[in-house]
Amino acid sequence: MKKSIPEKQLFNSTKERDLLGHIVKTSIRYKIWVAILLLFIVFGMYGYYRQIRYGLIVTAMRDYTSWGIYISNFVFFVAVSLVGSLFSSILKLNKNEWAKPLIRISEIIAVAAIICAAVIIIIDMGRPDRFIYVFKFGRIQSPIIWDVIIISTYLVISFILLYISLLPDIAICRDRLTAIPKWKKKLYKIAAINWSNQPEQVLIIKKIGRILGITVLPVAFAIHTVTSWLFATTWRPGWDSTNLGPYFVSGAFMVGAAVIIFAMYFVRKYLNLKSYITTTHFDHMGKLLVLLSLVYFYFNINEYLGPAFKMVGVEGEHITELFVGKYAPMYWLVQIFGLVLPIVFLLFKNLRKPVPIVIISAFVILGAWFKRFLIVIPSLQHPYLPIQGVDESYLHYIPTWEEWAITMASFASLLLIITILIKLFPVIPIQELENPIEETSNESKKLKNEIH
Amino acid sequence: MKYIKYLFIRVLKITTLVGLVFMSTTQIYAQDNTKEDALISLDFTEKNNIKTIKATVTNKIGEPVEELDLYFFVKRTFSLLPIGDVFNTTDENGEVEVEFPKDLPASDTEGSVVILVKILESDLYNDLTVETTKKWGVPISDKEYHQQDERSLWAAAANAPMSLIVSISIMILSVWYVIFYILYKLYIISKIKPSKL
Repeated sequence: MKKSIPEKQLFNSTKERDLLGHIVKTSIRYKIWVAILLLFIVFGMYGYYRQIRYGLIVTAMRDYTSWGIYISNFVFFVAVSLVGSLFSSILKLNKNEWAKPLIRISEIIAVAAIICAAVIIIIDMGRPDRFIYVFKFGRIQSPIIWDVIIISTYLVISFILLYISLLPDIAICRDRLTAIPKWKKKLYKIAAINWSNQPEQVLIIKKIGRILGITVLPVAFAIHTVTSWLFATTWRPGWDSTNLGPYFVSGAFMVGAAVIIFAMYFVRKYLNLKSYITTTHFDHMGKLLVLLSLVYFYFNINEYLGPAFKMVGVEGEHITELFVGKYAPMYWLVQIFGLVLPIVFLLFKNLRKPVPIVIISAFVILGAWFKRFLIVIPSLQHPYLPIQGVDESYLHYIPTWEEWAITMASFASLLLIITILIKLFPVIPIQELENPIEETSNESKKLKNEIH
Repeated sequence: MKYIKYLFIRVLKITTLVGLVFMSTTQIYAQDNTKEDALISLDFTEKNNIKTIKATVTNKIGEPVEELDLYFFVKRTFSLLPIGDVFNTTDENGEVEVEFPKDLPASDTEGSVVILVKILESDLYNDLTVETTKKWGVPISDKEYHQQDERSLWAAAANAPMSLIVSISIMILSVWYVIFYILYKLYIISKIKPSKL
């Protein structure tokens, strides 16, 4: 069936063409990208089918390592989702004007990440059909219930944050985009909820934007702190720490900033947004990443110095395993290439340019993923009460192909959600709500101001 | 000709093997069919603070069953706790005695414990379980018993600590209040009509 595009799209301004063009035009590159992501997802679904069919025995998780890469991946996704609050709350409330074009990307990533985090928890369950029992028989005393509550709350808040920042732009899509299929027109019409740039509407949305910006901050801190409490309240070496909450939150902000740099590089490149996401943005993001990494570095010292100085019992065994044992190569690679070197490199202005900074961010992201692996798995392999005569398979954990396939699929899903949202909506805010009434007439003037 | 002879030997070998397999299974079946039901009667005595369980096993015509291993258990919360010796074999009168431990906690204030005696995987007799409740356990105190109803972190959902319920409820309600307020405001936005120019 051939799709009929009603007419040729005309734009009122260059800004509109730059920011809305990708919604009208679907490139072959986009289709190939989506197809690749779908391929990963289908492969992951086959792995998950096998897991449902044969049970969790197809994974490498056993009595000792009962949380594998699913849970470390979950922690990673929750960490990434915090980036929404970093931009929509911390930077916005502190009036960091430069960060404005990045707010939308951060909110899109936050929504995608928190959806994937919620799904990965269900994937980790041996009997996902019993998920409903969590609500039916849940005990408020259990940190797992706290996590379920906070994740659902943060999911809703992330959606609303993205939605209220999008609303005026959805209305622009509804009013200006003509060369789009009917379903898209309908989608914009419904999602725009009669938005017409009325001063009262602008007033309300600015107000609720501020309220939400403040509300999201404690919720964001809570979501990752509660995630850390899942570990801190379980009696295992490496987790028995009061430092775990801030350690997780600071790590989350660090990886969030790196993810934004990574995302803005590709959005800028493939949507031709060089005039909107400038090298100054990369420079600022680089500085922000250094600051956040330094905070995380500080909590890392807190986390490891005490136990390493005392080397008590199983805690000592755990630290030895990380520092010089089985996990030492991964541990030092993560700490040096994912934390220390990025801090050092990003101090140089030249390395805060788009290409070098995106490479450095890739290392930070990879390091952050493996850091979560190092937080979850080695601890589980040193129980305080070892089981006698355990099966050989309990003593080490090497994820099976099913686990990798499902994990890769979760990443593909994250990227797919981000891709679809970016394809459907303008990724850089078009409307500046400060001057809503002059919007159309002053379009070209404002565009000039933005670019210079 | 050579091949036919070879084939004949192969067929003979295979049929012999198949025959052997069948024979052994029929033998097993035969054995199964010969298993009979036994009867366990229990006698509980308490003398000089020593509690003894005496089990007497008889076959269906009432003769004592000699040299049969019995297994004695006490029911605990999650599984069965074995008591007695490793092997508790019946004597020529079909009897076996097991001493009941003095320090087993009961599940209630009256000292009730559930005692099970089993015949398991015997060659001659079918599996059998006899279950009796005796007040031989160490009764838990009233205080301990009612502790289960106290509010604590480890209690059931209904007995969560009040402070926890209150603080979590305040947090959830305040955040969700903001969420619903915003949804309401979005509804208001949708109701504002564009002004006519």
